Amino acid sequence: MLHPALIENMLTAALATGGDFAEVFVEDKTANSLGMIGGIVESALSGRDYGVGIRIINGLFAVYAYTNDCSEDNLIKVATSAAQAIRGQVKDITIDLRRTTIPNRHVIQFNPSDFAKARKIEWMRRAHSAAKDYSPVISQTSITLTDSVQNVCIANSEGLLVEDCRTYTRMGFNAIAEAGATKQSGYLGPGAYAGMEFIETMDIERYAREAARIATTMVNAKYAPSGKLPVIIDNGFGGVIFHEACGHGLEATSVAKKASVFADKLGEQVASPLVTAIDDGTIPNAWGSLNIDDEGAPTQRNVLIENGILKSYLIDKLGGLKMGMASTGSGRRQSYQFAPTSRMNNTFIAAGDSTTEEIIANTEYGLYAKHMGGGSVNTATGEFNFAVNEGYIVRNGKIEEPVKGATLIGKGMETLQKIDMVGDNLDHGQGMCGSLSGSIPVNCGQPMIRVSEMTVGGRKGE
Amino acid sequence: MDVTQFQQHLFAKGIESGCSNMEIYYEQVRSTTVRVSKGEIDAYTIKESGGLSFRGEFASKMGYAYSEQIDERVIDYLIEEARNNAEVMESEENDELFAGSASYPELTTYSERLTHVAPQALIDAALEMESVAVEADSRIAMVRSSSVTISESEVLIANTRGLDCRAKYSSAVGSISVVARDAADTTTGEWYDFSLQDFDEINFADIARKSAHEAVSKLNADTIASDNYPVIFRNDAASTLLNAYTTIFSAEAVDKDFSRLKGKLGEQVAGSNITIVDDPLMPHVPAQCAFDAEGHATRRNEIIKEGKLLTFLHNGKTAKKSGIDSTGHASKGGYRGKIGIAPHNLYVEPGTVTLEEMIADTGRGLMIVQLQGLHAGTNAVSGEFSLSCIGFLIEAGKVKRPVNQVTVSGNLFNVLNEIEEVGNDLRFTGKCNSPSLKIKSLTISGA
Repeated sequence: MLHPALIENMLTAALATGGDFAEVFVEDKTANSLGMIGGIVESALSGRDYGVGIRIINGLFAVYAYTNDCSEDNLIKVATSAAQAIRGQVKDITIDLRRTTIPNRHVIQFNPSDFAKARKIEWMRRAHSAAKDYSPVISQTSITLTDSVQNVCIANSEGLLVEDCRTYTRMGFNAIAEAGATKQSGYLGPGAYAGMEFIETMDIERYAREAARIATTMVNAKYAPSGKLPVIIDNGFGGVIFHEACGHGLEATSVAKKASVFADKLGEQVASPLVTAIDDGTIPNAWGSLNIDDEGAPTQRNVLIENGILKSYLIDKLGGLKMGMASTGSGRRQSYQFAPTSRMNNTFIAAGDSTTEEIIANTEYGLYAKHMGGGSVNTATGEFNFAVNEGYIVRNGKIEEPVKGATLIGKGMETLQKIDMVGDNLDHGQGMCGSLSGSIPVNCGQPMIRVSEMTVGGRKGE
Repeated sequence: MDVTQFQQHLFAKGIESGCSNMEIYYEQVRSTTVRVSKGEIDAYTIKESGGLSFRGEFASKMGYAYSEQIDERVIDYLIEEARNNAEVMESEENDELFAGSASYPELTTYSERLTHVAPQALIDAALEMESVAVEADSRIAMVRSSSVTISESEVLIANTRGLDCRAKYSSAVGSISVVARDAADTTTGEWYDFSLQDFDEINFADIARKSAHEAVSKLNADTIASDNYPVIFRNDAASTLLNAYTTIFSAEAVDKDFSRLKGKLGEQVAGSNITIVDDPLMPHVPAQCAFDAEGHATRRNEIIKEGKLLTFLHNGKTAKKSGIDSTGHASKGGYRGKIGIAPHNLYVEPGTVTLEEMIADTGRGLMIVQLQGLHAGTNAVSGEFSLSCIGFLIEAGKVKRPVNQVTVSGNLFNVLNEIEEVGNDLRFTGKCNSPSLKIKSLTISGA
């Protein structure tokens, strides 16, 4: 992508004012997206992102500069101007880049760019038809297919020179149901670190009908109740609860500054003993996986919480320097336009012993949250929220009428302590996580769990 | 490679490939950000990026492609991909290139002086914010981030029909996030301010004091009983809420059946005390601009007047379909996007009451100052929302105590009809701006 000799010159220029460490991140990404509304292709976009980011660390201070004018002169100029922000004793650092080859865990069969758009559109049309035909109340559909291939080259003043290629494929199924003046939508967005084989082997109709089923169910649903209730959260993307309630709070970004409620809590009981939680960047072809993180460190399987005891944080290089701990392979960024920081990969609560039937049968009155939307958290206070896209009332151990429009809120550690049942049906769902270093693909996963009490943001008297 | 030269080569190659109508949208951004922590520079970021979107008509269908690399090597890629993308388009209405408006408003969106502020001034300002915040109150435990950014950007839209629109923008922003602690509780407070003209116009100490006040005033919050309450959305919270729903005004969303305002033109859709305007010509607002993403001259549009829906927001394509002139709302979301529709500088026309008077008029209610998780908790299609929020309990016309761990839920289309009071405290901070609004009743879920 860039000649190693040029990268060496950039690193040398970056360290000319006394920096301890310098890093170059080169990115060349092609992306395609197709959008179909009501069975008609309404948008088709392709493009190429290309740029270089340069980071210099001096002590605990970091300079980041990026450009997409990748001429040799400009790259040296950018490295030199970034170095101007550092005034230190020039160290004796010899840069000797040695190319490292990383083992590839993810088999990609069909490169998305080699696939004719017409074939992708046929898949989308099948999705539209299946959703539309599900029920006469389905008034509109919106189907998307996005893919990208991101080539990266990461080099640093410690001699690392490594390249990787990440392939992502995702399909979005959105169905809208209409009844009178009410409109409700159902959405599913399966994705993978994979090529077109992901969609070729996907049961497209099943996802499309499921999105239509959610919309159809919700259009006739009453509002969720309001107040504190036991909440059963289904498996798969339900893991967004851990992502928000705890995952972000374990990132070095906030832990290193002691601005997280989980700072200084290693070895302490932070969750119910039923909770074991893992962030695993190594799962083959999973949406949030990587061979190496965006600092060139191999990804790992990090046990974050074991039987309720906090075992590990999520750490990037700079966070590690601030905390005096090693990187956990968690340095990530959306693109060369962001300095890397500590982020999640595939985060999940491990399977427990309860069956789903037991969990529901043991709940006298509560909310069953079947499909979740996104959420957010304030890591300093632990206050988090996430949306329920499909919910039901549980009464006397049985799932009863559907309810809509409920956001669930809580405080991280309090909620983790209140997890009183963990199911045996672990699954993962896909999402995009937005934070300091941009928007990145992550998996959220869990088996079905029950929280003894959460605040449900429904409506009164409806 | 110089963009004008690139444009000439691209269009020449395009014509060779049988494409006669072509357009480029080019954007270049430069910025410097300084972030400090504990009296030292914590991060220093220099950004320089740009990209070019190409669109061209192939067999009377428009195809799009973009690239960040702007040199000879990508010309073939852009033409080939645009052709492939055009081929698969099935939409009946086609995008058309615009030759240009008769005239464009004269706006001052760029300040040379602002872009020449020395890096040391940024560092000093960020350090000043940090120290003022820490000294503002003994309960300020730390500053999570104190940063100052200077940025400038330029946009060029040019096509084979003769359009040539150029603009430059600049801004300076100071922002801070602090943590307050006492024996029992931890809270955060954020504040920011900006200038589009003059760095010295920004009162950094004031930003710091406001963030500290935000954090400290929320300490020792508690939930409240679940019930229906009169709710005041403070101006920033009201702006955040409305911003999640601006697509309801898009003619494209209406056409595709994603907006409940479909078929309501000329009808009363909000209370008669509500007027909503989009005015990109207003000076000193961040969203000021003279032309939209298709090169149409912008103008002031009244969208809702005294509750009556007067117009949707249009781009060239939707305007043509409706048989009217474009309202100048083509948007692009940068060079990676395709032409869509978005407001520029939307605002709710202010009323006459102050926030204090609004509070004094409230027997028992909740004033919301912060809403969270809007990307998940709002639904622009149905209008419904259920959102985590932070605020203050009002009793007998006075602020009684802070409230957290509650949600507010309702439906925006009902809210528009149940606004009892419109504040006089409109502040322009982004694409969607509102004064404080008092709503008759909304459900609060808490204990």
